[in-house]
Amino acid sequence: MRTIAVFAAVLSALSCFGTAVAGGMFGPPQPVSRDAGGLHTAVGYIHYADIFKDGADHVIRQNHIYSQAGYGAHDRWEIYGRVSMSDLRISDAFGSANDAAVPSRSDFEDRWKFFGTLGGKGYYPFGSCLGMGIFVQASYAFGDFKDGVSGTLNGAPFATELKLKDIWDINFGIGLQWTVPRGVRLYAGPFVYYAEAKASPSPAVRGLALASEDVLIRNKTSAGGFAGVDIPIGKGFRLNLETRYSERFSLGSAIVFVY
Amino acid sequence: MKASVYIIFALLFLGCAHGNQAVVADGPGAEWNPPVFLTAAGVAPSAFESLLRPGVLHSEKDSGKEQAETGDEYLEDVPAGDDEYAEEFKGEEEEEITIADPLEPLNRAMFHFNDRLYFWVLKPVAEGYNKVVPEDARISVRNFFSNLAYPIRLASCLLQADFRGAATETGRFVVNTVWGIGGLLDPASGKDLDLKMQNVDLGQTLGTYGVGHGVYIVWPFIGPSSPRDSVDIVGGYFLYPVYYLEPWYAAWGARAYESVNDTSLRIGDYESLKEAAIDPYIALRNAYAQYRRKLVESRGKTDEPPPGGVRAGAEGIINPGMPAPRRMQISWELAPEAEVNRVARMPASDTASGKEKRP
Repeated sequence: MRTIAVFAAVLSALSCFGTAVAGGMFGPPQPVSRDAGGLHTAVGYIHYADIFKDGADHVIRQNHIYSQAGYGAHDRWEIYGRVSMSDLRISDAFGSANDAAVPSRSDFEDRWKFFGTLGGKGYYPFGSCLGMGIFVQASYAFGDFKDGVSGTLNGAPFATELKLKDIWDINFGIGLQWTVPRGVRLYAGPFVYYAEAKASPSPAVRGLALASEDVLIRNKTSAGGFAGVDIPIGKGFRLNLETRYSERFSLGSAIVFVY
Repeated sequence: MKASVYIIFALLFLGCAHGNQAVVADGPGAEWNPPVFLTAAGVAPSAFESLLRPGVLHSEKDSGKEQAETGDEYLEDVPAGDDEYAEEFKGEEEEEITIADPLEPLNRAMFHFNDRLYFWVLKPVAEGYNKVVPEDARISVRNFFSNLAYPIRLASCLLQADFRGAATETGRFVVNTVWGIGGLLDPASGKDLDLKMQNVDLGQTLGTYGVGHGVYIVWPFIGPSSPRDSVDIVGGYFLYPVYYLEPWYAAWGARAYESVNDTSLRIGDYESLKEAAIDPYIALRNAYAQYRRKLVESRGKTDEPPPGGVRAGAEGIINPGMPAPRRMQISWELAPEAEVNRVARMPASDTASGKEKRP
């Protein structure tokens, strides 16, 4: 009970950061790979939300599904790679900045594109239960997200396609971990990150939020907090649940298999 | 069209296992599991007639450890009265396994064609591939194709009413696909999950329903088979997802790559066997007949590993924990090389059994 209370307190404290998040799940600071060294694989899902800006704020939502393979050793370090697929939704991307442009809809939506992620983490234990770790993780979208919109501009019809390309992010964080009975790991910590994407309309339509010219959009805030729990569920499997908060909450879960 | 030819051919010969020209292979009986490996592209390695005789090979269960202990001294140091292998096979020599071979001239021609194909094409390509691709990567490729063959194994299990096997196969497929990175890895065979691949195929399924072996056939490119087991070739054409790739040459290209990859993991095995055999054609035929019979008999004995070294998880022979994957290819897993060499060094009087009826 006390453990849960402390964990809740840490999570609440992290929420006070009030900042955002990008990329996939971070996982527990302690490597999941066997002490003698070994592989692990995972599949996971994270619903990611954040706010990007280019003058105006745009809420970004993504559903990531990923497959991960990693290698670590000595309970000290681990590297991993991910291939993920994600959709993308940007609120008010085609929003009208004036009365002249009247788009048929305002949100940008596109279906699944591939992402690649590389990451690494190091861990230092302060005893059998407590430990601290750092991680770095970077992601890149291999495909361009596209969506088209039509409408009228000063009474004349228009149609344009907005392309979001070169989406990437990098994250760095510090995590504190507490191992409770049954091998359950509770972890939490702060992180900083940077994310950007290039928005390129074809043709540009003056008066539409992201479609009026080529723009670079970035994350609104650069820090956030994360917390999670990693539970061994037997037969070499572990269940990882994680939440993060920056401008919006993100939630994810993964099932990890340790070889 | 091709499938129709196969089916007609199969119907012509089904049930002919006890025809006039049946030949006898005197296998050491149930204790001996013919050494099995996957032939690359079905280019069946021939071989090891002498390995089939009592006293030459002992059970695979013991072979690895004892061989390591006896090594090259096996032939010299064992007193005649203490021959544990002769004792092991005592009383089992009565068992005879037959297969008709009325097509022997044609089969021998196909055998030599496959043999040349292996030495002139497949082996050189596989050797080059072997030099540029690490073994771990090649094993992963084999795992990947093996995972793709799940529908064949599932259908075979279901047709045999082996629902436990079907569930195991399904579990393997899910685990290896999801946590094995699309089947490149094989976590399901690990000691934690212990989901072993089912050594089943459609020909074996017919065997469990009492369909006879039929005559011996050596298919070009594919290797030893029989009308009954040729059903597996046809079934595999429809159940193996690789054949659904478009355009058609992508599918056959993938199959060719799969064959080269498999061969690269076994370079030298066929050569060793060929050297050890007096008549590779007969050796392979006998071993094939015994292996297929044991495979049929093994169904329903779920506590025992299937014959022929598809002993997933067993240490050692070709690829521990990664059993022979696909249908369409007779899986002859080699005995350990040292054992083959040992047999090759045995005196002719020991290796040439008088029971063998040669044409």
